[in-house]
Order: sequence, then C-alpha cells, then structure tokens
Amino acid sequence: MTDSLGQQKPVNIKALLQACRSKEETFKALVTLSKTLPRLSAEKKTEENKVKGCESAVWLVVEESHGIRHFKADSDAKLMRGVLVAILSLVEGKMLADIQKMDLKAELAELNLSSYLTSSRTNGVLAILNKINTV
Amino acid sequence: MAFDPSSLRHLFPILAQSAYDHPLTYLDNAATTQKPLPVLDAIQDYYRSFNANVHRGAHFLSDRATNRFEQARDTIASFINAPEQSHVIWTKGATEAINTVAFGLEHLLEKGDEILITSLEHHANLVPWQQLAFRTGARLRILPLTSNGEWEPEFSHYFTDRTRIFAATQISNAIGVSTPLQTMLDHAKQQGAFTLVDGAQAVAHYPIDVQILDCDFYIFSGHKMYGPTGIGVLYGKSHALEVLLPYQTGGEMVRHVSYQATEFNVLPYRLEAGTPHIEGVIGLAAACDFLNAQDRLALLAWEQSLAMHVYSRLHKEGGIEIYSPEKNTTLVSLSVPNIHILDLNAYLDSQGVAVRAGSHCAHPLMAQLGVAGTLRASFACYNTMEEANRFCDVLLEAIDLLNDE
Ligand SMILES: Cc1ncc(COP(=O)(O)O)c(C=O)c1O
Repeated sequence: MTDSLGQQKPVNIKALLQACRSKEETFKALVTLSKTLPRLSAEKKTEENKVKGCESAVWLVVEESHGIRHFKADSDAKLMRGVLVAILSLVEGKMLADIQKMDLKAELAELNLSSYLTSSRTNGVLAILNKINTV
Repeated sequence: MAFDPSSLRHLFPILAQSAYDHPLTYLDNAATTQKPLPVLDAIQDYYRSFNANVHRGAHFLSDRATNRFEQARDTIASFINAPEQSHVIWTKGATEAINTVAFGLEHLLEKGDEILITSLEHHANLVPWQQLAFRTGARLRILPLTSNGEWEPEFSHYFTDRTRIFAATQISNAIGVSTPLQTMLDHAKQQGAFTLVDGAQAVAHYPIDVQILDCDFYIFSGHKMYGPTGIGVLYGKSHALEVLLPYQTGGEMVRHVSYQATEFNVLPYRLEAGTPHIEGVIGLAAACDFLNAQDRLALLAWEQSLAMHVYSRLHKEGGIEIYSPEKNTTLVSLSVPNIHILDLNAYLDSQGVAVRAGSHCAHPLMAQLGVAGTLRASFACYNTMEEANRFCDVLLEAIDLLNDE
C-alpha cells in the first residue's frame, strides 16, 4: 500500500492476517485494515464501477498506465473494505500478465480469508477477483 | 409456572454444539427451525421399516407406506382444523403452494381484473402474483400496511369489484408484525375475491384454525415448524381447490390416460403430480405431533417474552433502529445507523450467534422502511433467556467495535 494519500502506513498486512487464530481475530484485523483504505469519492461510485454479485456495495476502479495496473476500491461495509485492502495489496502496481499468473484464491486462503471465498460472500469476492484480472 | 425451554431443548441435539469455540446460539428460526428427535426418528423409521411408493403396489410395504402417508394428511388436517383431509395438498413448500394457486387460477383471470396483496409480503407471495398479472393483463395492486401492521380504513377502496384474488401474509417474516388479517379477509370476501393466507411465519407459533380464518387457501412450509425441508401444505376449501387447473401433470394425478385425453384424479391427488415427498410428509406429521404435545400458548408466550426482552434491552441502549413491534412478536428486526448489517452479522457469527442479515426476500418492504436490509434475531421454543441476552451482549460489543469514533 502507498501512503501517498496521507493514509497511515499499515502494518504488514500478510503478517497481521496470518497471525489470526480465530474468526474473531480475523474480524478485528479486517476492521483495523479497513481504516487504511482511502475512500472513493462519490463521483467514482458509479453503477459502472460497482461490482455485481456482492451482498454489500463494492466499487472497484481499475486504471492502467504503461501496462501497470492501479486499483482503487470502496465498500459500504467495513469488513469488505478490510478484505479489499488485503486483495489490493496482492495486486496493486503489477502488470496484468503477472496478475493473471497469480492464484489469488490460494493467496487469500493463506491470509485466513478463505471463509470469504466459500460462504455466500463467495460470488462477491470472486467477482472482484474477476474484475481485477480481466483486460 | 413459566415455560422452561430445557424441558424440550434436549430433543434438539444439533443445538448442543459449539461454533468457532463458542456455544452455538441459533436465532435464525424464521429462516428455518431445527428438527426435534421425533421428526428425525420418524424419517429414519420410514426408510428403515416401510419405504415403498405410495398408492401403487398392492404389497405389504406399500400398504404400510400409503397408510402412514394418508394418516399424515389427517394429522395436518386436524393441526389446522381443516374440515376434510382431502383439502390438504402436499407441496414442496410455501412457494410451490402459492405457485400452484397462481397458475391454477390463471384461467379465471381477465384483463383488468385485480390481484391485491399487501406491502409486507415475502417475494414468494408477490412475484407469482406479479407474473400472473403479466400473463393475464390483470393489475397487481398493493394494499399499503404500516410497519406497525396497521392499515388506514380509508384504504378499503383497494378492495373493488374487480378484485379477483387477495393474498396476504399472516405475519411478516422481515419485521415480525401481524397483519389485520380478519378485517382484510372480510373486505376481500365482500368483493367475491379468492383469498389466500401465507401462514409460513405463523404455523410454528400460533394455533391455526382455517375454518375461523375462513380463507379459500392457507399455505405454509414444513421446515419453519420443526419439520423437514422440501415439504409444505396447500390447504383449500373444496370449491377453491376444484377450480384450480393442475399446475403440474403426470403420474399419480390421473385416473385414465389415452393419447387423446386425460381424465384427472379427484382431490387431493389431482394437484399432486408424481411420486410425493413421502419422507417429508411423515416427518411433517411427526412435527405436528411434537407441537400438539406441547402447551402451544405457553410456547408462544415464551417466544414472545424473549423477543420483548431483547426489544426492551436494545431500545434502552438507544442508537438502534428497531423495525419489529415491541410486543406480540417472536422476532426482533433492527439496524444501526452508519454500521453495515453484514459487519454486525460477521461479528455475531464469530461469536457463534446465528442471525439473518439481509433484505429477507422483501425488497419492496425494505424500500418502504428506507433500509437496504435489517438484522433479524428470531426465536423458537428451544431458545433460552441466556441466548436472548447473549445476542444483546454480542450485538452491543459489535457496535462498539464497528463504531467510528
Ligand atoms: C412469509 C413467508 N412466505 C413464504 C416463504 C417461502 O417459504 P419457502 O421458501 O419455504 O417456500 C417464507 C420463507 O422465508 C416466508 O417467510
């Protein structure tokens, strides 16, 4: 994550999530992470930027310059903002081709976030991953 | 003496487990209830000792299965005080029961006819009527009810001489309020409309008497009243069931078939195409027996006292919007300004507390309330006061954790 927007630089996201030993700890870690996500302005929260299939509202803006992908995201639910911080930390600033080579689901599982992939929130997170690695 | 849930909680072994190292606190009973041992045993017993297809083979097992299957119809008929067992049609649930009526009445509707429902309906008692209106050119009208379950007497003009069908829920699944059913039914009957009552949220809690209600159709699901999934009931008065065209056709529902024509069977079989959900029927009868063996009014008073306790504790806290009534309900439906219900739900879940966060299949009602969804804790007879308090404690913790300073 960058701190270019004046956001506090978070602790190591991977270490924080991997240290969680229970659902409750993961919950609290995601709340902590959620506070580091720069919020999207109202004009970016368009229908077009909205990710379909999420129970909470999620917006994802993908920008590309010189082949490098940059992401901005937001949600009306706090835990989802924490999940977005985790997801974006894996892909921000990478080339599309490199992102496509990643096994994002496995990486999220390593971060103790697999319940976000297997519950009813599945479709939502999968839709986010889809949008991240399509042209 | 007050009802003590421990007198029957041991019949629900599923409740004695932990969820993420916390005692499981199951408060999602309006979605589906847990099943008591007698229901589980009845299903096992069916497969262990009398599994056979019904109404067909003339052999030992088939006779036993058919007898038990038809006895179950008697059990359900007396459970809702239906005058005759042939008025009880098996469906796969409330949804299929409503669709059976919506398709069955289609041939009687004309362009300009009106179908009236209330603003508190579950999608199951809305979409089938909306689609029926699309197919026939009839008009779907919505009788506005307040979230207190009241209607303005001046709204009686919603009932017109074009009202052909009136369908209303007895209790709102989303906010737990009872509708002014008897008054609405009176208005509908004065206009000669067919009347359907969605009892999905009522049967587990209230003794039901379809003859007092005097509606044409009464429908519900087994799984919300301690019975199995995949089985439900369509009760109808005989003239009302007689006019329904079968929504599904095939075996079992016929008397004679040639390539040119088919003679349909009599009720109830005419509306039950195919091999029925025999184990479900047996299990549902066991659920009725289970309920009949209880002091139903004591159970209801207990469930209401749990909801009332939660209401008053949370109401005192302030900062929590409660959409369900203070009294006479078995659930509490709420939201907290500036905190997403999914976040609240995630914390409750992490503590082993199971509730429902969402729109409760009632998008138009949520729009009426001005929310995207609510968090709903719904009680059943096996829930304890400790569980009601645990829900409050954990919810308040969640609010603390999620509040932005
Ligand atoms: C009031 C009401 N009507 C209808 C239904 C549909 O029941 P089922 O899904 O079992 O068919 C429900 C279930 O949530 C309900 O609460």
